[in-house]
Amino acid sequence: MSAAAAARSRPGEPAFDSDRALLALLLAGVAVPLLVFVVWPLAEILKLSFDTPKGLGLGNYAVYFATPKFARVLVNSLEVAVCATLITTVLAYGFAYAMQRCLPRGRRVLGAIALLPLYAPSLLQALGILFLLGRNGAIARTFGVDIDIYGFTGIVVADVFYAFPHAYLILSAALAIGDARLYESAEMLGAGRARIFRTVTLPATRYGLMSAVFVVFTIVITDFGNPMVIGGDYSVLATEIYNQVSGQGNMAMGAVIGVVLLVPAAIAVFVERWVARHHHAVLGDRSDPLRVVPSPARDRVALAYSALICGAIALIVLVVVVASFVTLWPYNLSMSLRHYHFEVQNGLAPLWTSIGVSLAAAVLGVVVVIVGAAVVRRLGPVLTQALYFLSVLPAAVPGMVLGLGYILAFNRPDNPLGFLYGSLAILVICNVYHYHAQGFLIATTAMSQVSRVFDEASTCLGGGLARTLGTVTLPLVAPALVSIGVFFFVRSMVTLSAVIFIVTPATQLAAVSVLLLDDSGNQNQAAAYSVCIMAVVAVALIALEATLALVRHRGGMRAPQLAAA
Amino acid sequence: MFLTLAGIRKRFGAVTALDGVSLAVDEGEFVCFLGPSGCGKTTLLRIIAGLETPDEATITLDGRDLMRVPARLRNFGIVFQSYSLFPNLTVARNIAYGLACRGWDADATRTRVEAMLDLVNLRDYAERRPHQLSGGQQQRVALARALAPQPRVLLLDEPLSALDAKVREDLRTEIKSLQSKLRVTTVMVTHDQHEAMELADRIVVMNRGAIEQVGPPRELYDRPANRFVADFLGRMNAWPDRDGRPVLGVRPEHVELVAAADAADGANGVIRGTIERVVFLGSVTRVVVRAGERPCIVELKGSRLDLAAGQPVALRAPGEALLRLEKPAA
Repeated sequence: MSAAAAARSRPGEPAFDSDRALLALLLAGVAVPLLVFVVWPLAEILKLSFDTPKGLGLGNYAVYFATPKFARVLVNSLEVAVCATLITTVLAYGFAYAMQRCLPRGRRVLGAIALLPLYAPSLLQALGILFLLGRNGAIARTFGVDIDIYGFTGIVVADVFYAFPHAYLILSAALAIGDARLYESAEMLGAGRARIFRTVTLPATRYGLMSAVFVVFTIVITDFGNPMVIGGDYSVLATEIYNQVSGQGNMAMGAVIGVVLLVPAAIAVFVERWVARHHHAVLGDRSDPLRVVPSPARDRVALAYSALICGAIALIVLVVVVASFVTLWPYNLSMSLRHYHFEVQNGLAPLWTSIGVSLAAAVLGVVVVIVGAAVVRRLGPVLTQALYFLSVLPAAVPGMVLGLGYILAFNRPDNPLGFLYGSLAILVICNVYHYHAQGFLIATTAMSQVSRVFDEASTCLGGGLARTLGTVTLPLVAPALVSIGVFFFVRSMVTLSAVIFIVTPATQLAAVSVLLLDDSGNQNQAAAYSVCIMAVVAVALIALEATLALVRHRGGMRAPQLAAA
Repeated sequence: MFLTLAGIRKRFGAVTALDGVSLAVDEGEFVCFLGPSGCGKTTLLRIIAGLETPDEATITLDGRDLMRVPARLRNFGIVFQSYSLFPNLTVARNIAYGLACRGWDADATRTRVEAMLDLVNLRDYAERRPHQLSGGQQQRVALARALAPQPRVLLLDEPLSALDAKVREDLRTEIKSLQSKLRVTTVMVTHDQHEAMELADRIVVMNRGAIEQVGPPRELYDRPANRFVADFLGRMNAWPDRDGRPVLGVRPEHVELVAAADAADGANGVIRGTIERVVFLGSVTRVVVRAGERPCIVELKGSRLDLAAGQPVALRAPGEALLRLEKPAA
């Protein structure tokens, strides 16, 4: 087409705007799967929990609360969650303070070690603690003492480590920003350190604190792997669902317990979302950023404290690694690779299955959340709210509840999507929608860094939605895309709770193998399998860092340049 | 008329941004929307571009209804105040963007991009990234990018506001010469009266979501319709006339200063007063004279060492310089 002809052919008056059609198509493309793979399974659980021989009613709940054992399970869960939440939040606040407001030596290394639990299978904490403090643990054997770590104490300790990185990341973000003027005024007024902390630091970080409390509460109350390994007879809601469904085939009671678990988790998540929205107001645009100045005494205390915490976190991972490479922990510490001959269904095959499923989840996850974030950016306020709600809803759904929902929704002949059940595809889909909320939030945050002026400039130049996304928006958020992909990959490698219900012998996953090995009393092989998973995750993280470094090097772009001045 | 706007209304919640604005723009004309911040000028420009949806409006281009044409298909070029070049694309690819959207082939695109680079004197910058350019250069590329697809209308949303004073003046001149060369119909938003007076064939003075007056800069300056226009373009001394209702005004440069001793008492149009302040501004000297209740501003050519605060003076405004100012429309 010649230049002149092209210029004359516009503007036209199309009877049908292809851009609006594409937007509608993409909206359907993200909303319909959310309805099918999140809302529908949830609805099935609710329906089953209210389904009694006498029609819909509260009969099942009456049975649940009238059974002392079940009532006890709810109390157990709440006890564990409240205790672990308080301990984790306090420890993580101190640690985040040491990282952000002090200058201990080796700050970067310490901060990295604190994140280790994120990259391990979700039952690794309990496994490591048992190697140290269990009946046949290092301490018991070395000192001949009998420690009873199983049950409440064990779960709380394991979950504190398990949830620690999440709390640390939130509190670290809250403590990273601060208004220097407030601190200067407080100091000028003669306030001491304790008073400044109480009157300036604590109030400024209260939203971060509340966020951390609710996030940790949700993580702990929905945790399945650690209570399975270290809980003993002490049953919590997540393990009881498994017990009812897999052990006794009682779907209805599983559904009731699922709803009992869903309620506190959902409340915590929505309170947290509400709190997070108020997070931004803490720092005005006229604030001066806080600069941390060295203070030898304070920095030494910070180093001692953070080294202690990191030491404990690293010890748990290390003991699992060591136990996997010795003949028989803790009796015979000679090197051996015998635990890497796995006596479990399909041997090492599940690890490869996990890698394949995780890669697929990474690709699908990136596409789903980035399209969701792009669509949300272009919709009117009402549809935006609705899609946003749908997109973050999975955060409120415990993995065990989602997994059970998948059985109820897809394991039946009358479902046209029933063919998915038992396939690898449903594992990929389950992982994508299990972690959809977090991925979506990273994607919308990255997109919001890209100024809307770019969209408008592209539109006025004649660029449609597809071109704007492909040529401008997506290249600008490319580093975030890689991060989101790795996020989905890592979560899919280590998660246990949702997929435990939908794996089959043919589609066994690595994290499930760890649980099976532990369940059959093969703790050393469970450790070895965990080490394999962690090695894969480490490779993914190194690849991420290398890619980001390459992008930074080649693009020569720094984050602020994403936004128009 | 080429571009016509009729009855444009837009509310943001409880705030009325535009209250029934109508305007017609000729082909090849350069029109400036001038007004204080919040007067609705940017909203009006965005509605013309199709980036904002008005509550009520009729917009036609060459007699064709534009309201059902999405922004993407209007073929209007736009330059924003903030630098809006795509940071991940080179200068050449930024300029080629609109051509790619229109399916131009590679040869035609290359020729056009080179022509546009020559037009804004940035030939050597084709392969640079936006962040390697100065603010002024970025806005010139933005201009080239907007003009490359031969837009029917060029829209400029305060394109000079983010620049340093010197760069702003250079680019102002460049925009003017580009526009007269290409004869592209141009609508520009600005809050800077000098910018508007230098560039515009016609200025649209806006205030609180409505148009106060439309006309060539000269006409608006010499015959402002009301106090608002008079005050927004230049300065104006204003008094109630003898009946107290309509207002009489005179520009500071039209007031004549006569030594108090020379002024015959009761002579026609002479007012007595005392100099309150003398401000030397380089090419002019501004004298504030207290005469009765309100100060009167007088601007005299060059420096006037003979004047000092406290000196009694007499003022005279020639009858032909007196203006009748109606109340503002809004």
